[in-house]
Amino acid sequence: MAGIGWKLQRMIDHGSLAGTIAAYLTGVAVTSAPWLLTTAVLTSLRLISRHATGDFVGVERFLTVVYAVTVVLSAPIHVVVSRYTADRLYDRHIERIAAPLRRATALTVVGFALIGAGLVWALHLPLALALVGAPLTAVIGAQWLMLSVGGGMMSPILLLRAFGVGAPLSLIAALAVERAAPAGGAGYLFGFAAGQLVTLGLLVRGVARALPAATDDSARLFPAFVEYRLLAWSAFAYYVSIWADKIVVYVVRGADAAAFYAAIAAVAWFSVIPAFAWIYVQVETAFYQRFRNFYAELEGGAPLRELKQHAERISEEAKHILRGAAAVQVGSTTLVIAAAPRIVHAVGLSPDAGPLFRLASLGAGMQVFCLLEVLLLTYFDLRRDALAICGCLLIGVTALTCLCSAIGWPPVLGHLVACAITALLGLVLVRRRLQTLVLDTFQSQPFGVA
Amino acid sequence: MAAVDGAAYASFGLSDDPEIAEPADVCLLVEGTYPFVAGGVSSWVHDVIQGHPELSFAVLYVGSYPGAQGEPRYQLPSNVVALHRVFCQESALAPLDGAGRSALREQIRTLRAAIDARPEPSRVLAGLQRMHVDGEAGTDVLAALASNDLTLPELLHGRPSFQLLTTIAERVAPDAPFLDLFWHYRAIFAPVLRLLAAPTVQARCYHAVATGYAGLLAALWSHRTGRPLMVTEHGIYARERDMELARADWIRDEVGGVSEPRSTWAPRISPLRRLWSSFFRALSRIAYVQARHIITLSDANRVKQIVDGAPPAKIEIVPNGVALQSGPQPPRDPEPPAPDQRSVIALPSRRMRVGFVGRVVPIKDLVTFVRACDIALNSVDLDVRVIGPAEEDPGYAARCRQLVARLGRSSSIQFVGPMPPARIYGDLDLVVLTSFSEGQPLVILEAYAWGLPVIATDVGACREMIEGRSDDDRRIGPSGVVTRVAAPKETAAAMVRLARDVRLRWQMGAAGHQRVTAYYQRKDMLARYRALYEGLIEAP
Repeated sequence: MAGIGWKLQRMIDHGSLAGTIAAYLTGVAVTSAPWLLTTAVLTSLRLISRHATGDFVGVERFLTVVYAVTVVLSAPIHVVVSRYTADRLYDRHIERIAAPLRRATALTVVGFALIGAGLVWALHLPLALALVGAPLTAVIGAQWLMLSVGGGMMSPILLLRAFGVGAPLSLIAALAVERAAPAGGAGYLFGFAAGQLVTLGLLVRGVARALPAATDDSARLFPAFVEYRLLAWSAFAYYVSIWADKIVVYVVRGADAAAFYAAIAAVAWFSVIPAFAWIYVQVETAFYQRFRNFYAELEGGAPLRELKQHAERISEEAKHILRGAAAVQVGSTTLVIAAAPRIVHAVGLSPDAGPLFRLASLGAGMQVFCLLEVLLLTYFDLRRDALAICGCLLIGVTALTCLCSAIGWPPVLGHLVACAITALLGLVLVRRRLQTLVLDTFQSQPFGVA
Repeated sequence: MAAVDGAAYASFGLSDDPEIAEPADVCLLVEGTYPFVAGGVSSWVHDVIQGHPELSFAVLYVGSYPGAQGEPRYQLPSNVVALHRVFCQESALAPLDGAGRSALREQIRTLRAAIDARPEPSRVLAGLQRMHVDGEAGTDVLAALASNDLTLPELLHGRPSFQLLTTIAERVAPDAPFLDLFWHYRAIFAPVLRLLAAPTVQARCYHAVATGYAGLLAALWSHRTGRPLMVTEHGIYARERDMELARADWIRDEVGGVSEPRSTWAPRISPLRRLWSSFFRALSRIAYVQARHIITLSDANRVKQIVDGAPPAKIEIVPNGVALQSGPQPPRDPEPPAPDQRSVIALPSRRMRVGFVGRVVPIKDLVTFVRACDIALNSVDLDVRVIGPAEEDPGYAARCRQLVARLGRSSSIQFVGPMPPARIYGDLDLVVLTSFSEGQPLVILEAYAWGLPVIATDVGACREMIEGRSDDDRRIGPSGVVTRVAAPKETAAAMVRLARDVRLRWQMGAAGHQRVTAYYQRKDMLARYRALYEGLIEAP
C-alpha cells in the first residue's frame, strides 16, 4: 500500500485544510466504502421492498448470512494472499502472483459456490432463490479474494470505482428485474447478484492490468499458508469475533433478540468510520515512512546510535497513532452517545434501544482499538502476539456475551468488557514490542538452525 | 566434558574419542596447516614430530568447516597417536521455504523464551566482554570461558548476548554499520563457542603452533587440565590477520556512501576491521597469558609479541634449523671472478636462475615478485621459477599467471609446482622472497645450506637472517639483500646487481652457508625443543 501512502502524504503535505480533509476522506473511502455501499444497497432494498410483494425477508436473511460467512471464511485467505502479494512485490517477483491467484480464484469460486449451496439448504430457501444464492456466494467470496490482491496492486480509485459502479447497479438491477419479471425474492437476488458480478468483473480487470504478461506457473501459494498460518488464524478469529456475539444472542435469546441486537451493533459500527480513516491515513503515511526509514537506515549501514533513534521515532509514531485513534474514537463515540436517542429513532429502532446502543458504540470503539493493535503487531511481524489479541477477543466476546445473556444482563455489556480487556492486553503487547524493537529485529534472525 | 547442546550446533568431527584416548606426551594444536597444507609451518611441525621419536604426539587441527581441509599432505609419523579435527564453522545450509521459515521462527521463539528464563548470567558472555571489550586476558577470563555455559542459540538469540553486541557497538565500534556488526559479531563468536564446546584432548602438555583459535583452544585445555602450555609463533598471528583484514573484501567499509580509506598508510581503518583486529589480539593475549613458554624465531618478532601483550620473561628465541648435508655445500659458481673485477660488470656465461620458493598465496606477495622480475628482465637475462603449491588459493594463483602472461614473460617466468628441496636448490642461483609477513623462513635456511644468496623483504626474522643477529653473526657478512615490502623496483635492482656481480653472489652464498652452519642447524633447534618438552611434561 506504499503507493496510496505517498498520495496521502502529498495531500497532507499541501498544508491546507482541504488537503488534509481530502486525505482523511480518502481513508474513509478506502477503508469503509465497500461495506458502506453494500450496506446502503441492502438498506435501500429493505426500504423499497416494504411496498413490494416478494419474500424479501428471506432474501435479506440469506444475504446477511452470506456476507457473514464469506467475510469470516475469506479473511484467512485475504490475509495470506495479500501477504504473499506484498512479499512478491518486495522481492520483485511479481510474475509469481498471477498463477497462484488464478488457481486460488478457481478454488474460491468452487468452494464458496458449495458453501452457498450449503447455506441455501440450511436456510431452507426455495429452489428459485437457491439457484441464484449459490453463485452469488461464489461471487462475493471471489470479490474478497480480488480485494486482497487489488489492495496492494491497484489504485484505490479503481477499487472504489468497482464498488461504486457495482453497488448502484445491484440496486437498480434488483428493482428492474423484480418489476420487469415479478419473481419475488429471486428477482431481487438475481438483480443484486448481477450488480455484484459487475463489481467482481471490474476488480478482476484491475488486478489483471496490474499483473505482468509473463507469469511463473511454478509459483505456489500453499507454502505461504503454512508460513503465515498464525496471521490467517488471527484474521479468522477477529472476523468470527465480530459475529460471535450475534450468534450467542441468537442461540441464547432467539432470532428476534438477535435481529434487534445485530441492528444495534450494525448502526453502532458506523461510529468507527472516523477512527478507521485516522488509522489508515496515519499508518500509511507517517508510520509507514518511519518504519521504512528504520529498515532503510539499517540496510544502508547506520550505526547503532542512529538505529536507536529511528526505533525511538517508530515507537513515538506508534504511540501517536494509538493516542490519536483513541482521541478520534472518543470524540466520535461521545457524539454518538449524545445523539443516541435520535439515531435510534432515525433507524427505526425502539426507544429502549438507546442505552444498549450507547454500550454497543463503546464496544465498537474498543474493537477498533484492538484492530489497530493487531495491525501494529503485524507490522512488527509479531504474529503470535497478534493471534493472542484476536484469540482473546473471540474468546472474551463469546464467553462474556454468553454470560451476560445467561444472567439476564445486556449481552452488549459482555461485548464491551471483552473488547476493553483485549484492548488493554494489546496495549501491553505493543508497548513491550516497542521497547525491544532493535533487539527483536536482530536476535530473531535465523542462523544455522535447521 | 563440555556439554554440547543440539546436534545442529556441534561439528567436531573428531577422528576418535578424546575422552578415552591415551594421553599423548604433547598435544600439538595447529590452525589450518598440518597435515592438510604443505610447506611453511606444516613442514616445521612435521620436522619437530619426526625429530622427537621418543615422544608421542596428538595433533589437533583447527579448520574452517568440515570438508574444506582436503586430504592430508603428509604421512603422519609413527609417534603421532591421534589426529583430531575441530571446525569453527558449520557448512552452509540450504535456503528455507515458507514452511521451513515458519518452523524456524517457532524454534527461535521457544529458544528465546528458554534463554530469557535462564537464572544465572552466562560466565562465558562476561568472559567474552572482558576479553574483547575490556582487553583483559587473565586466568579468571580463561576460567569464565572454560565454563562453557553459553550455548550457540543463547549467543544468537538471547537478550544478554545482544547486550554484549550493543556494548561492543558502543565501546569498540561506535561508527560501524550495525547490521554488518551484528553479522560480524556472530561470525566472530560462534566459532569461539564451538571451540569452547569441543571435547578436551588429554595430554601431558599442550603446544600451540600459533596463537589465534588454536592458541585459544590450547589455553582452554591447559586451564581445564592444569597441564602446561607452550606457544610457538613463526609469524605473529595477530599481525598476519591484520594484513589479511586490510585486503579483505568481505568487510564493508562504506557507510552512507562514503568509503573509508583502506591504504596501508592510512591512519584510520574501518570499525569492522578494527573489531576483527582487536579480537585476534585478544586471542593472542589469552594464549600468551596462559603459556609457560612463548617461543619466537627472532628479536623482531619478540618485540611485536611484547607489544601485543606477551610477558617478556616468558619469551625465548629458538631459531628454526635445517639439516646440513655431510660437509658444506659448495657455492653455485665454482669460478668466482677475480677481486679486481668486482666493480666491473661481469656477465655470467648463462642466465641467472632465480627461484621463488613457497606457497602461491597472497601473503607471499607473488605479484611483487613477478613485477620485480619483469623490471629486472629489462636489464638482465633471468630464468625464473615459481616453486611451490598453488592449490591453496587458486584464484590468486590464476591472477599471478595472468599477470605473467599479460607482461609477456611466460617464457622467462615459469610455475613449476612443488618439488623436493634436493631438486629445488641445486638448480638455482638465487632465492627471492617478497612476503608481506614471515616468521623465520625455512626457505632462506635451505638456500643457505645450498650456498645460495637470498633477496628477502624486511619482515619477520629476514633481516637478521641476512645481515646477522649478534655481533659475531654480523661479522660473517651479508648473505643477501633486504628490501622493503611491496617494492618491486628495489627487488629488481637487487636481482640485477646479483646477476651482474657474480663474485658478490658467490660471497653472499658463502656467508649464508657459514651462517646456517653456525646458528641455524636443525639439531640445535630440536635439542632446545626436547629440553622444553621434557620440562613441560615433567612439570607437576
